[in-house]
Amino acid sequence: MSGSSWTRVRAVARRHAFVLLRSPHRLFDVVLWPLVDVLLFGSLGVFVARQGSGGSIACGYLLSGIVLWHVVYQAQIALSTGFLEETWSRNLLNLMVTPLREVEYACGVALFGMVKLVMGVGVVALTALGFYAFNVGRLGVGLIPIIAVLLVVGWVIALFVIALVLRFGTGAEALAWGILFVVMPLSGVFYPVAALPGFLRPLATALPTTHAFAAGRSLIDGHGMQWGQLGLATGSTVVAGLAALAFLVLMLGTFRRRGFVTRYS
Amino acid sequence: MLDAHQLVKHFKGVRAVDGVDLVVRPGERVSLLGPNGAGKTTTLLMMLGAILPDSGWVRVAGHPLPKERSQAMGEVGFAAGYLPLPERLRVREFLHMFGQLYGVESLRDRIGTALERFGIAHLAGRLGTELSSGQRTLVGVVKATLHRPRLLVLDEPTASLDPDVARRVRAGLSELCDSEGTALLLTSHNMAEVERLCERVVFLSAGRVVADGRPASVASRFGRSDLEGVFLHLAEERPAGAQQTDRTA
Repeated sequence: MSGSSWTRVRAVARRHAFVLLRSPHRLFDVVLWPLVDVLLFGSLGVFVARQGSGGSIACGYLLSGIVLWHVVYQAQIALSTGFLEETWSRNLLNLMVTPLREVEYACGVALFGMVKLVMGVGVVALTALGFYAFNVGRLGVGLIPIIAVLLVVGWVIALFVIALVLRFGTGAEALAWGILFVVMPLSGVFYPVAALPGFLRPLATALPTTHAFAAGRSLIDGHGMQWGQLGLATGSTVVAGLAALAFLVLMLGTFRRRGFVTRYS
Repeated sequence: MLDAHQLVKHFKGVRAVDGVDLVVRPGERVSLLGPNGAGKTTTLLMMLGAILPDSGWVRVAGHPLPKERSQAMGEVGFAAGYLPLPERLRVREFLHMFGQLYGVESLRDRIGTALERFGIAHLAGRLGTELSSGQRTLVGVVKATLHRPRLLVLDEPTASLDPDVARRVRAGLSELCDSEGTALLLTSHNMAEVERLCERVVFLSAGRVVADGRPASVASRFGRSDLEGVFLHLAEERPAGAQQTDRTA
């Protein structure tokens, strides 16, 4: 990336920092919802644990699951709502007629998204520690590649959402939040996919998140890193990433060809 | 500076732009005119690479679109009267962001000078939500001129301004074009403003260029005393009857 590209990336990141600073309701995504999630799943875990046999492991699954899920959630929400902010403020045309390239824009939003991710996941991890004495750090360095995969999966989902908004307009905005409610149960965030109805298992197995969470549960169980699961998660993330990029380029072409920018001007 | 050749654009089966040719030379001040729906904004957006033409091509400062869009847009400033300011940015922050996107050096000084040029230095610390529509338009024009573009494209820049502020904008634009040799391409429904600011006008009707020349020359071709007469004539005419082209100027 050339110096001027880096300047443009920083300009976009700085713009989104101002958006967060001046929009207190945006803090819900990085502070309130993470806290509520830990409270919900942590308390559920404690309740199940008190019921007797095997319950204690459920608490670990629930809390590690929600901490790791927030990596996907924060990465996805930061990138997709960053783009949506440009549509809400009708700033798309302003940006499209500058030297800013699409990839620079995405990098700028993702860069500031990392700040939001650190905040959001930090709130989840600290709340789990403070409220339920669950230290996600005890899972060890094996967490790092799992988090890396989930981070990229979050971005991949955001690229799909952005592509759909480019094509279908504001009607597709709801997907920014709604799509995660579909991915979450299918990914076995809190349970092995064997717990899903049989007809959904093939779909669940195709998701990179399923394998990343399976690797995470193996760490919780004390069985060490399941490299096979991590490899499947990485491979399917690469495939999904390429598909998302291809879809985005296709939709961007449609957006320019059909003059959809006028929806936002 | 700008070279558009045989631009064609359809929307839902309607030929919105129908074979438009337009050349803007360095330092030239050109106005793209025509009634609502004539294809002005679509033509402008194709020249800026925001909309892809169905056929035809555009070069900006020698850079073909869309292949070299980023380099081309570095030479262009764009503002439109209908575009708002991002609500959550102060004017100074908004200009700083766009200055960085254009790679402007000594940005703080440049922002100060640009705000002074249009008489709105006192707005630097205001949020977008605290500005009137006219003030937002002025900030948009400042943004468009911040990086000293070789071509300034303005879509109805004075549409929401009172006469005094509109005069200030025209004065600022004239001073900029004179001192920096900036070429200007603007659309406007204010014919008097166009006659004061531009040396050449291009009239569009039903997506086609129907007149291209000096304001007085175009007016006389249509047998009218001024551009407003031409405008009204074209607005009333059926598009098929308005295919008169004057490229003699």
